[in-house]
Amino acid sequence: MGTSLSKLTEKPNIWPWLLLSPLGIYMLIFFVVPLADVAIMSFTEPRPTLANYTKVLTGALYQRVFLNTFLTAAFVTACCLLVGYPLAYLMAHSKPRTAMLILLLVTMSFWTSFLVRTYSWMVLLGNNGPLIAFLQMIGIESPPQLLFTRFSSTLAMIHILAPYMIMNIYSVMKKIDPALIRSAESLGAKGFSLFRHVYLPLTAPGIANGSVLVFVICLGFYVTPVLLGSPREQMIAGLIGHQIEEFLAFGLGSAMAMVLLAVTLVILTIYHRRFGLDKLWG
Amino acid sequence: MNTFMRWAGFLVVLFIAAPLVIVVPMSFSDARSLQFPPPGYWLGYYRAYFTDMSWLIPTWNSILIATATMILTMLLVVPATFALVRHRFRGKGFADLMMLMPLAVPHIVMAVGYYSYFGQLRLVPTPFGVILAHTCLSVPIAFLVLSANLKGFDRNLERAAQSLGANPARTFIHVTLPILRPGLIISALFAFVQSFDETVVAIFISGRGAETLPRKMFDSIRQEADPVIAVISTLLFAIVLVGIVAPYFISTLRSRAPKPSKPTGAH
Amino acid sequence: MTSYLQLSSITKTYGHFTALSDVNLSVEKGEFVTFLGPSGSGKTTTLMIIAGFEKATSGLVQVGGQSITQLAPHERNIGIVFQNYALFPHKTAVENVYFPLQMRGVSRSQGLKKAEDMLSLVGLKGFGHRHPKELSGGQQQRVALARALVFEPSLLLLDEPLGALDKNLREQMQIEIKRIQRSLGVTTIFVTHDQSEAMSMSDRIVVFEKGRIEQAAAPLDIYHRPQTSFVAAFIGESNLIPATVTNASARIAENPVLDSFDYAGTEVLSDGQPVTLLIRPEHIKLSRSPIEGRKNVRMTVETIVNYGDNALVIGRAGDLTMRVRVLGADVVIIKEGEECCISWTPDSVFVITK
Repeated sequence: MGTSLSKLTEKPNIWPWLLLSPLGIYMLIFFVVPLADVAIMSFTEPRPTLANYTKVLTGALYQRVFLNTFLTAAFVTACCLLVGYPLAYLMAHSKPRTAMLILLLVTMSFWTSFLVRTYSWMVLLGNNGPLIAFLQMIGIESPPQLLFTRFSSTLAMIHILAPYMIMNIYSVMKKIDPALIRSAESLGAKGFSLFRHVYLPLTAPGIANGSVLVFVICLGFYVTPVLLGSPREQMIAGLIGHQIEEFLAFGLGSAMAMVLLAVTLVILTIYHRRFGLDKLWG
Repeated sequence: MNTFMRWAGFLVVLFIAAPLVIVVPMSFSDARSLQFPPPGYWLGYYRAYFTDMSWLIPTWNSILIATATMILTMLLVVPATFALVRHRFRGKGFADLMMLMPLAVPHIVMAVGYYSYFGQLRLVPTPFGVILAHTCLSVPIAFLVLSANLKGFDRNLERAAQSLGANPARTFIHVTLPILRPGLIISALFAFVQSFDETVVAIFISGRGAETLPRKMFDSIRQEADPVIAVISTLLFAIVLVGIVAPYFISTLRSRAPKPSKPTGAH
Repeated sequence: MTSYLQLSSITKTYGHFTALSDVNLSVEKGEFVTFLGPSGSGKTTTLMIIAGFEKATSGLVQVGGQSITQLAPHERNIGIVFQNYALFPHKTAVENVYFPLQMRGVSRSQGLKKAEDMLSLVGLKGFGHRHPKELSGGQQQRVALARALVFEPSLLLLDEPLGALDKNLREQMQIEIKRIQRSLGVTTIFVTHDQSEAMSMSDRIVVFEKGRIEQAAAPLDIYHRPQTSFVAAFIGESNLIPATVTNASARIAENPVLDSFDYAGTEVLSDGQPVTLLIRPEHIKLSRSPIEGRKNVRMTVETIVNYGDNALVIGRAGDLTMRVRVLGADVVIIKEGEECCISWTPDSVFVITK
């Protein structure tokens, strides 16, 4: 209608600006400036050239790490979906008591620190841990090294990120009107075709939401791959940290950080166009 | 489909639950390194945690930093949320989006920025640097929780208060604030937990001067895997358990109390 | 000027959109006035301007001869009951009622006692300690009413307060609100879009449409002598027939289908003037054959809607759709699809010029 706009021009209201300015100024100084610092360093450290980007985008090591990060994130996302979908289904369609217990468990997992869960996997997969003991018990003489491999870090990441997927899918499933399923059944849909043509499309928004969230977090994951992964198969965040901490290569680290940020923002922008970013974490 | 889903669900429950509970027996283990099942049980590592300053100081630092972060976050976010939820103005869409940006930027990117920028400001091995950085990361989370609450706030309640003779300030104190209290508490709690758990930025900027618990744990896991970590994990796990389960039980007890005649179902 | 509440040329615009244009109204002390109209007609905006939550673009609001236009809502001393009651969820019923007294500096013991008395008046003795969510919809409604009345406001505003209640409870509350309003003698403005509610409760009804007052009159006047075709169509069932005055002095008008017929009333009209004729369905008689001394028209019955004690017969006469209200027992004489005769007397034909 254009009514609200002309209302604005009639009497400019200073209240929102007054309320917003402390946070705005704060974020400018302590969020935007450090971020800009990274951007600037990527071009100027150690000398003002594009050398850092040339190296990051064409160097074999960096290309491998980027590819590795991407594939790992995709794999973790797929596994989270595979693991999360049935559990969300169970939560949404079980008796209230069972559903409540699972919800409690998932919430617990969600709130337990990344570090604690990473540590747990060290225990579970360690050379003196239960999994190795189990493998020996069933007759595998020399069980493979589980810890500090791509396997251990991927498994732990799936475990750590699955709650994001589960919560997203669950919240969509819970809102599905049971009458919709009944009416689909009355129209002759059953078994897999009911799932394929009715239930799955209805839960698609939850899947999209959960997948984007898991994928994006996984792309920038630092703690778990560094602690549990193989040093020879680093992910991008680990490599950035390594460059900064070990070699004080701020320029190179910043350039990688900018590439990581760019990829993340592209994914989130696509999501934002389609669904609105506030839905992702809401 | 249903039976399959049930079995798959059961396996997933096991997958999610096992790593959560395994730290509990580990914390009572008397083994020197990671070993499960533990060869024997004792409380030695609990004593070690509660007497070792190299663990207690980071714990204290984390509590202090998280509390300060929570207060600073709320001071900034509460007025901003009122502005963004209650007012329409030019650039609001952009401001809404900007509120969420710290969630979109990977922590490692921010860590690089803070390491360099706060280094120049001489904030690097100080608690202030960590508090300032953590506040940025807590802002979007506190905002999301609070704005959801504020959007659901019935403005007629404030109108009613005014029609009944309360001026804007008294309306805020007597009506808006008390009704919004649960949202404010949850929002503050999220900010606290975000800071308390934050690892990546803390690894880069907390240094020796303000070592946080996650940083200490990270270093310890990386170097020697001190069994004390199992103790801390168990304690953190216990806090989360109490924090999540207790409110649930209180709310069920409360909702049952006034209506004893309501059928309570099978127990 | 003797009126108690006076609205003078109230206009409200949002940019190019005019929400209210030139609203003038006088309300007497103790009067029960209902604002009736479809949603978006301006009735709630007017109420919000009286309460002070909206600022009029121009115009004046006066209570007891004093302008309150510049006062903030909390300085106006006006009680409001909102559609969703807006009870404070963190306060008990009696604390809710005590709130306006607390704001006026009444001591707690004295204020709570007065609040309890007010709760008794609205029939909630002994419910004071409960929180709003432990009360039924009707009980919450009464608490809201008590809270809006306890500080002896100069005006009571009710914004569709019965909308959320089911039918039986609503009728009970209509009677209850009337009783309380009379016993306190408080000047009341009631907003609703429910015409039967307006009819049964009001001393006067103000019909709003598109930001204007269409008509302000006593309920029966509104029903029998609507001044505009909007009011005629909005209030009750009606047959509105476009016609042209053919002989103003003999009070005869003509419609292409119904031919010429007499109309009642005292308005001065001129020949050739286009008018709308209103005939209420209950004033039309249905019969098999024409009745002497009445205007008779043939109609083909299309639909019969049975209400038990009465029925609505809808049919076509030429290109006009006619609605006829008949008593339940009489409906047996006719079936859908049959042709019959409808008739009326000139004094049930009312002329609307707007």
